Amino acid sequence: MSETQLFDDLVTSTVMSRRSFMKWSAALGGVAAVMAAGEMGTQVVEAQREDVPPVPDSIVWSACHVNCGSRCPLRLYVKDGTVFRVEGDNVGDDTFGMHQLRACVRGHSIRQRIYDPERLKYPMRRVGPRGSGEFERITWDEAYDAIVTSLNGVIERYGNEAIYINYATGALGGTVAKSWPPGSSPIARLMNCIGGYLNHYGTYSTAQIAAAMPYTYGGNSNNSIEDIANTKLVVYFGHNPAETRMSGGGMTYSLQQFRNQSGARMIVIDPRYSDTAVNSADEWIAIHPGTDAALVSALAYVMITENLHDVEFLNTYTLGFDRDHMPEGYEDQDSYQDYILGTGADATAKTPEWAAPITGIPAQRITQLAREIALAKPAFIAQGWGPQRQANGEQSARAIAMLAILTGNVGLQGGSTGARDSSYRISMTAFPTLENPITTSISVFMWPDAIMRGPEMTATRDGVRGKDQLEVPIKFIWNYAGNCLINQHSDCNGTARILEDENLCEMIVVIENHMTSSAKFADILLPDVTNYEQEDMSPQGDSSNMGYAIFCSQAIEPLFECRTVYQMCTDLAARLGVEEQFTEGRTQTEWLQWCIEETRVNNPDFPDYDTFKAMGVYRVSNPGLPSVAFKTFRDDPVANPLRTPSGLIEIFSPRLHDFSQTWELPEGDVISGLPIYAPTWEGVSDPLRATYPLQMIGHHYKSRTHSSYGNVPWMKEAAPQEVWMNSIDAEARGIAHGDLVEVYNERGRIRLPAKVTPRIIPGVVSVPQGAWYTPDSAGVDVGGNVNTLTKYQPSPLAKGNPQHTNLVEIEKA
Amino acid sequence: MATLGFYFNSNRCTGCKACQVACKDKWDLKPGVTWRRVVEYSGGNWVANTDGTYTQNVFAYYVSVACNHCENPLCLQVCPANAITKRDDGIVVINQDLCIGCRYCEWNCPYGAPQFDEEQGVMTKCNMCYDAVDAGESPSCVAACPQRALYFGDLDELRAEHGDLAGVAPLPEPDITQPALVITPHRNSAPVGSNAGMLANPEEI
Amino acid sequence: MELHEWALVIFTTVMQMAVGAFVLVGGIHLFAARRYTVETADKLSDRALIAIGPVVVLALLATFFHLGNPLNAPRAISNFGASWLSREIVLALVFTIGGAVFAFMQWRKIATPVVRNTIALVVAAVGLVLVYGMAAVYLIPIVPAWNTIVTPISFYITTFLLGALAIGAAYVVAYWRMRGNEKAEKETQFEIVAVTLRWIALLSIALLGLQFVLLPVYLASLTANTSPAAAESVRILFDQNGVLFVLRLLFIFLGAGVFSVFVYRTAATSGATIRILGSLVLGAFALVFVAEVIGRYLFYVSMVRVGI
Repeated sequence: MSETQLFDDLVTSTVMSRRSFMKWSAALGGVAAVMAAGEMGTQVVEAQREDVPPVPDSIVWSACHVNCGSRCPLRLYVKDGTVFRVEGDNVGDDTFGMHQLRACVRGHSIRQRIYDPERLKYPMRRVGPRGSGEFERITWDEAYDAIVTSLNGVIERYGNEAIYINYATGALGGTVAKSWPPGSSPIARLMNCIGGYLNHYGTYSTAQIAAAMPYTYGGNSNNSIEDIANTKLVVYFGHNPAETRMSGGGMTYSLQQFRNQSGARMIVIDPRYSDTAVNSADEWIAIHPGTDAALVSALAYVMITENLHDVEFLNTYTLGFDRDHMPEGYEDQDSYQDYILGTGADATAKTPEWAAPITGIPAQRITQLAREIALAKPAFIAQGWGPQRQANGEQSARAIAMLAILTGNVGLQGGSTGARDSSYRISMTAFPTLENPITTSISVFMWPDAIMRGPEMTATRDGVRGKDQLEVPIKFIWNYAGNCLINQHSDCNGTARILEDENLCEMIVVIENHMTSSAKFADILLPDVTNYEQEDMSPQGDSSNMGYAIFCSQAIEPLFECRTVYQMCTDLAARLGVEEQFTEGRTQTEWLQWCIEETRVNNPDFPDYDTFKAMGVYRVSNPGLPSVAFKTFRDDPVANPLRTPSGLIEIFSPRLHDFSQTWELPEGDVISGLPIYAPTWEGVSDPLRATYPLQMIGHHYKSRTHSSYGNVPWMKEAAPQEVWMNSIDAEARGIAHGDLVEVYNERGRIRLPAKVTPRIIPGVVSVPQGAWYTPDSAGVDVGGNVNTLTKYQPSPLAKGNPQHTNLVEIEKA
Repeated sequence: MATLGFYFNSNRCTGCKACQVACKDKWDLKPGVTWRRVVEYSGGNWVANTDGTYTQNVFAYYVSVACNHCENPLCLQVCPANAITKRDDGIVVINQDLCIGCRYCEWNCPYGAPQFDEEQGVMTKCNMCYDAVDAGESPSCVAACPQRALYFGDLDELRAEHGDLAGVAPLPEPDITQPALVITPHRNSAPVGSNAGMLANPEEI
Repeated sequence: MELHEWALVIFTTVMQMAVGAFVLVGGIHLFAARRYTVETADKLSDRALIAIGPVVVLALLATFFHLGNPLNAPRAISNFGASWLSREIVLALVFTIGGAVFAFMQWRKIATPVVRNTIALVVAAVGLVLVYGMAAVYLIPIVPAWNTIVTPISFYITTFLLGALAIGAAYVVAYWRMRGNEKAEKETQFEIVAVTLRWIALLSIALLGLQFVLLPVYLASLTANTSPAAAESVRILFDQNGVLFVLRLLFIFLGAGVFSVFVYRTAATSGATIRILGSLVLGAFALVFVAEVIGRYLFYVSMVRVGI
């Protein structure tokens, strides 16, 4: 024994060792934990540990079920009925194509969602004014009775069209416990058993592009991201998989791998130097939000005037490019070429010099970019969903597609359509939700109007579908695992005012895990189990070259009084006299078995229930080439026409032109047969910039999937809520990095720290979306939710959410 | 016995922090104690043109850093309580039973690796998941990396394969502690000591 | 700044003051013993010596607040072979215990003056090494604000400046508190006090001058350092704590400069009263003490590491 050791031992023996100290404190802590458990009914997570984590009783496969578009398996380490640790997929040697579906940062924090001290524990009934968050505990029976009474009353007085299932994506990874699409949820199945509900169309993610793109292509698809392996140039418009598809099973990892294969140069066009740009871009072109169509127009100008466009492709496959190819009956309208060259009605040539001040991009760079895109063939041009989530998003979406069309890249291997890139998948049979007898449908975004003035809403003014006019207002709202009731909808303060009026919507039922901003607006609040407290299975998310499915075993018993949504619906069905119709005699597990067997009818390779459950993740590598959108059309346009009226790519859409003549639109809103640049309210050229000089967007944030995970301490620590602003704008306002600032406009005011960075174009700020709306007593949203500032004004065609079209000002708090 | 080290490919890193949180989950770290952190380094200028446009040369990249289990661990040398030791495989560990909580190691580490646990009053630090390493598995951060930007292994082999760069801005001069770290720099990478950019997320690390 | 760093401010400042005081008491005592008698010299220096004791103990106790895990405190000396922190603690303990032993022997007049003086010399030497040890703890290569020769020099300046004024203050207080039957000797004692204070004043002025030479050199070198850490330290010192920085300079200039000049002059005049002299010395000591605490606070907050 050395002298030092001897000394160490001597010293150690004279003081209380940490180990004994910890045992002593653990004993005390244990007593406290038992007391707490008795009081609150909580299950206490092991807080103290010896040197290494304990050996688990079991490691259980499950998945993260939030709405990021990826889908990651999680392996839950369980001991004594408690999840004490989580790891991602570790199966196999991680060969690309059969790679591990490694969870993103959020999945690793799932314990703090499961064991959130604010978990909803038992059914509650509102006692204060709606939205006050004041509730009293009630029994399940009382909750069910209140819901059934209200449902019956509303149906009797207004009919089923007054029942609405709000858009909700907080639990979309499951098969039975699934909130999205709402029409595929157990709630929809229950409602369909008793006469149906008012539908909606579109999503908060993709309203404009999903509505607009089919007018160009008859669909909204693009080549698989795999095809980047076969391309020469990648151009991403507002496309940011590194912050929107963060799974290690999917798009960002794939992008990196496929670019390694092709060596393709990559350009990212975005107001922000996004993490995708950091990771992958050879060049970042900073652009003002909402001006993508202006940039595209100028690119088209260069291509056409320098004769770089694919005339043969345009003549063969498209409609409306030039005067010779206008659809019948629309010959007197401007062709695309007219619009670009200035030979049309507006007599303005869309030169790079015209576009430069609009977009913020120097004219010379625009000219270079046009040549670069036109001369690289094939080129992979894709857009994310940021450009389309604008007041002129339909126009931008179709405009970006024009680049793929002008360059003849559509239908080519390594080419593209300009839509969002796709991914290989295997399909699974979904939980069936029966037919909805109600066929009326409203835009996903316009339910507040349907509450306020439902019967005034028409097809040509408000986009009502299935009927010329809505008959009744919304009186009953189901809000299962969603936060669009306030947090993720536009103009939180305005929405709150509508919801607070109890004479309008009579009943709001919220089914949730946590006390979200939406949950605070419930009349009846039902505590849901997390997906770790039930058995379910996950169809895959975007992953590029691999299809997969995840079996989600039940890891732990339901916490507190929480019940599964299937249980809730079954209980309600019994009270409504439709239990047999609702369950068809099956338990949740039996439905899973049914779905698997149905899946196996079309895909015999899919594992059976027991095998699937044992393996956790079933995966298949794409056996074929990367999928190419509209390939058969490219190969033979006559035999395989597109699903447009002409069968061709409609650069000029007669249907859209007709809408522009017949729809009632607010002043300034534009629907156009051509994908033109349309300046908008609160856009880059709105005179309101004299008062609110900064354009504001809201990027996806690594610490949240929309608002999910917004309450998780590890996530708040990893990526605190902050507003991105350029140092030029910050300096002009005396703001330093880290300063607490207030961002405001006429709709509201939020308070949060500033991230002063060169990574955003001057004149533009970005508030990461999804922070929890938390108005203080003065009405300032100290949660820093971007939607406190966004505007509730539906976009012209899709009637969708224009959440990146805003003007604000910032000052030091 | 081979010396173990981390390999980090900055070109692959998106700054997602899965490594950071996987670590925090496994070791149940409280807010404020973060053994692996992700540093954002960014810079560049915006020059206004006369037509309302801007010309810019903005760049940014991320560096994921934990304890680098240095060949010359200053933390170990300066610890007055002899609470820090280096294993035969190079992993530097703190024995909390011996730690007095003076935080002197924290002052001496240019990587911010030793961190103080307020509750227990002792220092804590990345231990390269020695439990996993001993069992032939990867540290949690490595296993979690969605972009496959992070690896660990025999330092000599890592250097043979990826070179011997052990620092980029804003990391310190590797000479100070000789970290068991191999870096593939980002294409925009600035060298150690550069003032081309700045550490852009001080509040997060 | 957190509590645990305040503990360091108190510990280092007070400990250095104690070392300086001990060394200077020894010097003054030797001078007085040679000029008068040992007994005469002991009268004041014994009292001053005993005043140092509790101060040192308080300083040592303060260090416990710096520890997250005080139960393990005895382990702090384990790494004497390599860690300056261990060495600092050992030296501080040796100095404290040695000082206490000496003080006890001196008080009870145990052993011969030669033996006691030898012990005092050793303790003083340990104290002087301790001051270096304290500085060495902060000579951290990755902290540009600290890793400079200025750190040990300024620690020694604190040692002698604060030590000297503390002794001056202690002598004045000790003189005030002399009992009636010592009156006869009071004249001699006053002479000792006056001479001592003149030397203390001179020393203070000299050290003040040294500080004002050192400061621009330090700031120039820190500003010239290209690392972001050094720049951040400069920012902390000036942008964040500019007011404190100026206050500190003002206090030390007043205390060690202006007041000391008056002490020097007043002590030399024949009509000097202990009341005036004492007020001046106590004022100088208070000003310099506050200045040194502010200075040490700034020293700690200026700590920025190279790297991340």
